Amino acid sequence: MNKLTLAAAALLSIAALPALAQDCPIKVGVLHSLSGTMAISETTLKDTMEMLVEQQNAAGGVLGCELEAVVVDPASDWPLFAEKARELLSVHEVDVIFGNWTSVSRKSVLPVIEELNGLLFYPVQYEGEESSKNVFYTGAAPNQQAIPATDYFLEELGVEKFALLGTDYVYPRTTNNILESYLKSKGIAADDIFVNYTPFGHSDWSKIVADVTALGADGKKVGVISTINGDANVGFYKELAAAGISADDIPVVAFSVGEEELSGLDTSNLVGHLAAWNYFQSADTEANDAWVAAWKERMGEERVTNDPMEAHYIGFNMWVNAATAAGSTEVDAVRTAMYGQEFPNLTGGTAVMLPNHHLAKPVLIGEIQEDGQFDIISETDVVPGDAWTDFLPESAVLVSDWQELGCGMYNTQTESCVQLKSNY
Amino acid sequence: MTRFLTIAMIWVCALVVPTLAQDADAPIQKLLQEHGDIIAKSSRKTIAPAIDALATSGMPEALAVLERWQSKEVWRHKETGLFVWAEEIDRDTIRIFDFAGDAQIGEAVDKDYKQLKPNSGVRGMIGAALVQFQLNDPDPVNRLKALTAIERDPEASHLLALRGAVETEDDPALKIRKERLERLLTIRYGETDAERIEAIEGFQGDLGVDARAALNPLVRTKVEAATVLPDAPDVVGVVTPGSDALSREAAFATLVEAGLAAQPISRGDQRAALVANISNGAVAGIQVADLNSEASRDLAYAELARQGLVEAAATQSDIDAALDSHVFYGRFIGAPPNVALAAGTVLGGIENKVGFNQTIDLALDALSLGSIYFLAAIGLAITFGVMRVINMAHGEFIMMGAYTGFVVQQIIPDYTISILVALPTAFIVTFLAGVAMERLVIRWLYHRPLETLLATFGISIALQQIAKNIFGTQARPLTSPDWLDGSLVINDIVAISYIRIAIFVLALMFLALFLFVMNRTRLGLEVRAVTQNPRMAASMGINPDRINMLTFGFGSGIAGIAGVAIGLYAKVTSEMGADYIVQSFMTVVVGGVGNIWGTLLGATLVGTLQKSIEWLNPSNTLAAQTYMILFIILFIQFRPRGIIALKGRAAEA
Repeated sequence: MNKLTLAAAALLSIAALPALAQDCPIKVGVLHSLSGTMAISETTLKDTMEMLVEQQNAAGGVLGCELEAVVVDPASDWPLFAEKARELLSVHEVDVIFGNWTSVSRKSVLPVIEELNGLLFYPVQYEGEESSKNVFYTGAAPNQQAIPATDYFLEELGVEKFALLGTDYVYPRTTNNILESYLKSKGIAADDIFVNYTPFGHSDWSKIVADVTALGADGKKVGVISTINGDANVGFYKELAAAGISADDIPVVAFSVGEEELSGLDTSNLVGHLAAWNYFQSADTEANDAWVAAWKERMGEERVTNDPMEAHYIGFNMWVNAATAAGSTEVDAVRTAMYGQEFPNLTGGTAVMLPNHHLAKPVLIGEIQEDGQFDIISETDVVPGDAWTDFLPESAVLVSDWQELGCGMYNTQTESCVQLKSNY
Repeated sequence: MTRFLTIAMIWVCALVVPTLAQDADAPIQKLLQEHGDIIAKSSRKTIAPAIDALATSGMPEALAVLERWQSKEVWRHKETGLFVWAEEIDRDTIRIFDFAGDAQIGEAVDKDYKQLKPNSGVRGMIGAALVQFQLNDPDPVNRLKALTAIERDPEASHLLALRGAVETEDDPALKIRKERLERLLTIRYGETDAERIEAIEGFQGDLGVDARAALNPLVRTKVEAATVLPDAPDVVGVVTPGSDALSREAAFATLVEAGLAAQPISRGDQRAALVANISNGAVAGIQVADLNSEASRDLAYAELARQGLVEAAATQSDIDAALDSHVFYGRFIGAPPNVALAAGTVLGGIENKVGFNQTIDLALDALSLGSIYFLAAIGLAITFGVMRVINMAHGEFIMMGAYTGFVVQQIIPDYTISILVALPTAFIVTFLAGVAMERLVIRWLYHRPLETLLATFGISIALQQIAKNIFGTQARPLTSPDWLDGSLVINDIVAISYIRIAIFVLALMFLALFLFVMNRTRLGLEVRAVTQNPRMAASMGINPDRINMLTFGFGSGIAGIAGVAIGLYAKVTSEMGADYIVQSFMTVVVGGVGNIWGTLLGATLVGTLQKSIEWLNPSNTLAAQTYMILFIILFIQFRPRGIIALKGRAAEA
């Protein structure tokens, strides 16, 4: 409350002053839930942003100005995300927003940010099938997480039969649709793909685990691709362990289980199960060591780093570089300067911002270890993020290119732009 | 680099180091270098030659190399490409050893070396190669490793090795496993059909997934077509095109593949081909105006094909004719016909047994789910069933009990003792919380159900947020003691985890406790008196206020214990209570308000129903819950007072 009054007071005093060439301080909006269900995940990202802003200020700020983080709390309430985004843009007049976690909250913010021409950096892996002029997607698209992980199952583990288990909402459903048609294109019969959706927070997994075990009865190797979200994972992994299924018999690769989620679990029974991300805390590079050390020093020794944090790290630094290159924090200038921006990943190599507002990054596959960390066992070449998947017929013909074509949903067959604004 | 030098200097000064250089010409190192690149890549697709070379090299060090490689202990120098094995000293330094002679080389900075991390596919292949060394190993642990490796990646060569190792086995458990594995491998790789059939028949009625996994590939068939059904032993089952087993398209594709028919052409392509060949207003001599039916277009196209202007293609009528004139049948491709037939017979017997066992397993699951619902609802059966208080915060008492268990586990590290302490502590904590809630809120709202509902709903939200503030929203672990890990495995199909059995037993105990308290104690008598007629009870010297308080506390306390049990099998979060509140109310209402036997029946009904719908619709568990609620609503329409309805005066109270 105090913070709000202060912010309001600061705003009034600024409004009273005559306009300067470059408005100082430069305001960075942080739109992450600090209460409600998503709080634990998103609070971490709020802290990450505050740390990044501090570090940048210590390094001299941007364009000769101090940076100021404007933090609001959308309280895990999806419509409130739109309200708060409007508040950030029209009341606080921030230059850029870093925020959102769930896809549904992003969809809620889209119309506001497009109407007011804001700039949003979205840091979480998501289902794709979207491209907005005003959003940079620094998390993984399906071809940067789900597809490489499936390839790994097919080629390295020799899996012939797939169980796609997911929580019942937009991200797992879209991802599993893409995976189903991808697997079929790889010659896996429809009978060899078992799909199941469970509600949020599901806890009674005995039947589903028994079904998965029974899949092995025809002598084919079974693998589980899990888009199970949140705390339902606890019950799922407990039941797997109770059924005595080891990762060597039926491997499970998860797309929503990272260091943060494992900290709530006894991992001794999960050793060897897999996760696919663009970042793991265990990555052995100097930049990552420094990053982890800075995080632990600020937040406490027991805290872990995870993939969306790295996405914010890269997104923020790219934005700083783009603003410096453009000589202004004006949205359109920064957006144009963003294309082709390069910044070193924490895991080694360099991330590049593509004209479709996605990053080109390598994909890592890690095995869960006893200490709740991941052992990185596979790293792909750099994979360019693809907004519209090639594995669904209706979106295979679509491309996104904001630099050359100026369109996020361009139909290559009819050679026309389907839409400029998102209407979801 | 400086660090490396310093370390090296210290080494040289402090110790008499035998040699810091590595023997690059040792035979094992040379062999590794030969396959250096594929070993460094460690991909399942390319690694086979390297593993084979090591396994068959006959070098004494090969075994160690394979084992260390499998356990991720092999490192490769980034510049020289030499392989070593190493122990990690800390995050940046490793102690390296030469494979040749196992000599210690010294310490090194891990930046100079790259650790080889074979994935589990490659580890499995290494395991399969290690089998020959491990099968007769004196250490039973290694022999067990070998057996597991064979189970995961069986190879033809394992059969001989295994046969040689069965006789000498002295560990009875391992011997049984070896014998079974030998039989399974004989099914796959046996030399003569007779020995394979003998092995197959040994698995009559066997429920193991491994047995079915060995048998099923033998009976695979491929659909073939011919004009007359061939009289061959490996021909099985005639299939009709257009049936579920074989669509017309698939049947025709079979014909095309076998060269018995030409590629079909789509209507669109055919039209395009015709349009392209229009000359003088006619196609192949047929006037365009006459091409108004499929038959005439087919005719024109066939004429074009005859003239060589377009590629010959099957038309719809061709397809129909071709399908009619051919017979489609399955042919065994997995094994010689007599082996496949034997496998088919045995599998048939197994499938029947599997079906029966799956029903048992489903019944066990249903019983287990029923007992969980019963445990969650039993507290509510008291507060709602007996006292008629609609307590929306009941779920939060469950949550409170679970968090109590979590806190106790933080203090007492021994899981067995902590659970024994947590159960009564959870009861006390939630009992007190229940009493406080009754005193502060509920007692002012008796006989005003709407206000009670709203007030308790508010309390439930407040309690959830308090839990979030204290414990965070991340799920917290409530770890069960070791003796509750794992499952009671009856066979490969029927299995139930011990934790579920424990919950079942706990539910029975609480049923007994409830019956005892209600029917055999003074408190129970007074509770029944107060709920039937508070004024009369008061005039008999019972203090209804006190009884209401104790009853509510008792109900809440049992909810707390249920929380510990639920936390053990699932998870502890601030929202776990909300997951159970609907089911709990449903259980109590369906069973019949005010009767514990009704609650028991209700829980069994809801559990069984949920599992049966899941079985009918395995792909969507959420839909199963929706259908169940629909069913319950219908059920309530026909039996508004539940399965066991109270009769007489008690019903009107």
